[in-house]
Amino acid sequence: MIIFLKAGGQLRTLLKPDIDHYTRRVEIDGLKTVAEILEEIDVNPALVALIHVDGKLKDFSYKPSDGQTITLQPPVSGG
Amino acid sequence: MIVQKYPGADGLAGTTLRINLTTGEIKSLPTDTRLMREWFGGRGAIAKIIYDEVPRDADPLGPKNLFIMSAGVMSGCFIPAGAKIGFGSVSPLTNGHGDSNMGGHLGPTLKFAGYDMVIMSGIAPKPSYLFIDDDVVELRDASQYWGMGSLECEPALKKDLGEDFEIATIGPAAENGILFSCITHDFGRQAGRTGQGAVMGSKKLKAIAVRGTGGIKVHDLAGLTEHVTAIIKRTQTHPNMEPWQKYGTAFFIDWSNKNAVIPTRNFQTTHYENIDGINGEALVEKCLITHKACFGCWMNCGKYTKAVIPGKKTVYLEGPEYETGALCGSNLGMTDINQVAYLNWLLDNVGMDTMSGGGVIAFGMECFQRGLITTDDLEGHTLNWGSVEDAEHFVDMIVNRRGIGDWFAGGTKRAAEKIGRDSIKFAMQVKGQEMSGYDGRHAPGMLLAYMTCDIGAHHNRAWTITVDMAEGRDTVEGRAKVVVYLQHIRPLFDCWCICRLFWGELDIEPEEIVESLNHITGWNIDTAEALKTSEKVWNLVRCHYLERNRANGRTFDYPPARSWEDKIPTGPSAGKGVSKEQVETMLDEYYACRGWDNDGNPSREVLHDLKLDFAADNLEKIGLLGKPLPDGIPAVRGERYKPKAF
Repeated sequence: MIIFLKAGGQLRTLLKPDIDHYTRRVEIDGLKTVAEILEEIDVNPALVALIHVDGKLKDFSYKPSDGQTITLQPPVSGG
Repeated sequence: MIVQKYPGADGLAGTTLRINLTTGEIKSLPTDTRLMREWFGGRGAIAKIIYDEVPRDADPLGPKNLFIMSAGVMSGCFIPAGAKIGFGSVSPLTNGHGDSNMGGHLGPTLKFAGYDMVIMSGIAPKPSYLFIDDDVVELRDASQYWGMGSLECEPALKKDLGEDFEIATIGPAAENGILFSCITHDFGRQAGRTGQGAVMGSKKLKAIAVRGTGGIKVHDLAGLTEHVTAIIKRTQTHPNMEPWQKYGTAFFIDWSNKNAVIPTRNFQTTHYENIDGINGEALVEKCLITHKACFGCWMNCGKYTKAVIPGKKTVYLEGPEYETGALCGSNLGMTDINQVAYLNWLLDNVGMDTMSGGGVIAFGMECFQRGLITTDDLEGHTLNWGSVEDAEHFVDMIVNRRGIGDWFAGGTKRAAEKIGRDSIKFAMQVKGQEMSGYDGRHAPGMLLAYMTCDIGAHHNRAWTITVDMAEGRDTVEGRAKVVVYLQHIRPLFDCWCICRLFWGELDIEPEEIVESLNHITGWNIDTAEALKTSEKVWNLVRCHYLERNRANGRTFDYPPARSWEDKIPTGPSAGKGVSKEQVETMLDEYYACRGWDNDGNPSREVLHDLKLDFAADNLEKIGLLGKPLPDGIPAVRGERYKPKAF
């Protein structure tokens, strides 16, 4: 199964995008949670503040389906 | 009166106003382009003017203090989010240089009216407001507005003057000299920190109203257009943009809680059991009306909301954003986002900084919890965690300086000095200014950032939480160089008066920002020069602080003892905390990294390198010039943490 992870800021560098400036293609075996996927690709989940899928918020237990794009938002300091 | 205007250098409006509020004299002068070039306008130019002109023994709330408003060199130009305006004076809260800035529309409008900076001295004989309508500048009677809440005064002035005036106001807190008072603009944008509202109030200046219809000439419009268009196109599809637009900063409340940095019940712990009631999702679900943006920005991170509490009138406000959500939410034990939003509105309207205000109320609540203050002190009221009614009554005591409210009017440090009984241990401030919405006990870089912040504890100069997480939260070594770098890069936004949230969080590199600046001004500087100028400002502010407060710098750089005496009691970071020894280690590393001696005093060598020999001479006269460093000063102070630029 192929999913696409997308991130900016500090997370972008950790994600190592390969599709475009922000996006990495990730191949996974079967359904996995976002937490498990991040662990597989060695991205510290503490550096992910929001998980955004199709305009909606999800949590680390969310299991993406084939072809989905998962946007990861890094934390920033308050205004 | 109609004032004379002067042509501006590229990026500048051209004219600076000097206003003596005591006599009512208004002078217009050509903007000092050398000052702008050498100190970058905004915070930098303000710092230099205050250093040069305010006597070291001047009362921050007296006539000799200056109150300065500066729109910087990038605000109002053809760039995204060039919306900021800076205010500065000697801070009554910290007794050192103070500055604070806000977004909205006032900064660009001031420049469109033709003014880069307004420098005010003296004290008006009666409540007044500053009226600027292009060439017309007047001090007008504000008697009919005096006493109004900040959020009430702005529409009243707009009704009287016209909707196209941009207006900044103070509330009753500032009128009554509450030291952590703020300035409000655009119904919810605040220059909140360092008590700039209190200085404005001390000068009997209720408001500033500006209408401007001109423009700003830039050095290379074609180059700027090409450069900025590329940035605009790129950021429109940036993955951070949509979450920002939808949720603003309030959505990081959950993240802070999960990662055990959110201040809870006056920083007693770092994890809050009722977070679901006050987090960003609760805000969107229960309070959000629509989104709101500043001049030239489409991030619209501002959230226009309402707070509905049974038995109280429904109130409308902007916020709460992250800092208010944390400091007036978990830090006060509130359980419903409507309570937090209501307190946000209350503090905005009386004109208190919601960050220091939240910190002060929390300190009062902990004093009540521990029996250090009682219902006898509170006019028969309680001051319990989670009670919006108790908080509202306490705020009313402070604003009107009734009873012990007068003690808290000076912030937590001064209140602790009155209350005694070791309460200073949990007065969560540094240099008199209350901490922002992050607990640094298990984020040591953040703690160091508070300790060494030039204006008292504040996250905005250096925010290192993710660096702490990436590098290990139990170690302190190596943080100093990152803190120093951040203390140079981030204040540049406050010099140039552009918004850090847009320019700092969307993968725009520092070099691209400097290129924008060069297209606007023709200065042709590089990032290294920008950082060095920011370092110069930082060191001047440090010298100013030492000259006013007359002791070794290290004396002032300690956090409250809770930071090292109390381990975090609950949550994911239970049992964690820094030791006093680690605090000392961080300071040692920090001073060495800055080229300051181990007492925290800048050395002549570093001040000379920054062309601050005059400040070195002044420190030498009072015996506070740093001793020469055995190994000399580092060639470059601070180190960029990769991958994070800001």
